Amino acid sequence: MIRVSGLSKEYRAEGKVHHVLSNVSFTVGRGEKVAVLGRNGAGKSTLMRLIGGVEVPTSGRIEREMSLSWPLGLQGGFQGSLTGNDNMRFIARIYNKPFDYIRAYVDDFAELGKYLSEPLKTYSTGMRARFAFALSLAIDFDCYLVDEIIAAGDPRFQRRSHEELFEKRADRSMILASHIGDIVRGYCSRALVLHRGRGKVFDDLDLALDIYHDL
Amino acid sequence: MSGTRGATLFRRGFAVQLRVIGALTIREIYTRFGRQSLGFAWIVVEPLVFAIPVLFMWRAIRGSHEHGLALMPFLWSGYLPILLFRHLGGRVLFFITANAGLLYHRRVSIFDIFVARALLEIGGNIAAVIASFALFYAIGVIDVPQDLPMFYLGYFFMIWWSIAAALIIGGLSERSDWVAQIWMPYSYMYLVFSGFFYLADWLPPALRNVALCQPYTQAYEMIRAGVFGDVIKTYGDPGYTAFILAILTLIGLWVMREGRKYVVVE
Repeated sequence: MIRVSGLSKEYRAEGKVHHVLSNVSFTVGRGEKVAVLGRNGAGKSTLMRLIGGVEVPTSGRIEREMSLSWPLGLQGGFQGSLTGNDNMRFIARIYNKPFDYIRAYVDDFAELGKYLSEPLKTYSTGMRARFAFALSLAIDFDCYLVDEIIAAGDPRFQRRSHEELFEKRADRSMILASHIGDIVRGYCSRALVLHRGRGKVFDDLDLALDIYHDL
Repeated sequence: MSGTRGATLFRRGFAVQLRVIGALTIREIYTRFGRQSLGFAWIVVEPLVFAIPVLFMWRAIRGSHEHGLALMPFLWSGYLPILLFRHLGGRVLFFITANAGLLYHRRVSIFDIFVARALLEIGGNIAAVIASFALFYAIGVIDVPQDLPMFYLGYFFMIWWSIAAALIIGGLSERSDWVAQIWMPYSYMYLVFSGFFYLADWLPPALRNVALCQPYTQAYEMIRAGVFGDVIKTYGDPGYTAFILAILTLIGLWVMREGRKYVVVE
């Protein structure tokens, strides 16, 4: 269970206060997949960073009773000057998983070949996304934070990640920020619509998508 | 029953934390020094590269004695703590922002990252203390400290001070850019007022009382008492120093924790 209650985040820039999120509450149960809908700038990425624990809320609480992935599709969590292998070694140590297993999994899934012994900064955006995504699947989290990952990578990779994320891991939870109606309808049971910092949870996905399209 | 369960959870949490700090330390070594086998040696060599030319230059300019004290032990015991303070302090500016990406890994806390970095700096510094001592001892310009426990105590306080200062500087630099601006002049001025150049005994009493309020000056007094023994008069007060450093550490931990609130990730 992930329980977000009364979450608010303000940023200060040049003396002005911007309320990015105001009093947002929702829960994600085990196995539940919740979509986050909102226009650009509605606070989707901020919400992901807060749930991911990188930034701290101005007020409100986030209780996490499941292991939580880093946000897939966002930058961060890796060291650009280190090679893919060294990044994997680091992750393997932190999460206490055997490196050989992690390496074999990522090698098979991301299909990066010899690039794994090159520094991450030499990767293209698509390669980086594949690497981060494969690595998170290798660690095997209870809940995945997904930020538009479906759009990253070529069709073959999209198909495979779709299969891994939505079919093989159907029992896992997910918080998915997406613009794609079909994915939301097909895989999520509820949707959180963000608008001007406010958030509302809908059980009716069609209603949520209609509202989102009218925003 | 719940007591043993609590203890088990605590042990498990502790094991996770140790593993995380270990992983961060290795990562830091790779990032900073590369993966070549010489990389690790740099941790020791880096402070020495700073210290040795400076120490010999001083000796060439100032002669072999200062206020009747052998100059080399005086400079050696003064300069290596300076290196630790400046390296640790310099490396923690905008420390949280620079490492924010690591916080996506829920098991990594900002304090784990800090501990990993501090361990590396302190380890490198201690190795440099030993290596430079061995070198100077071999060429006969330095003797074994007269009172080793006192020397260790003074150096321990120096390390503690460097950690407390780094926490405060690192946390404050997230709030306001001017912390980084004043760090450079401050870390240079520190050479003058810290006690690197003087013993409290050489100061007029009024100034001496002011100087001895500073924990690092206290630590220098103890280091010098350790190096030179009874031939000099020193004013180190371990109780006072520990008290001040404990307060500064608490402030530092609080400032670092609060600093999290100011971090904005792109």
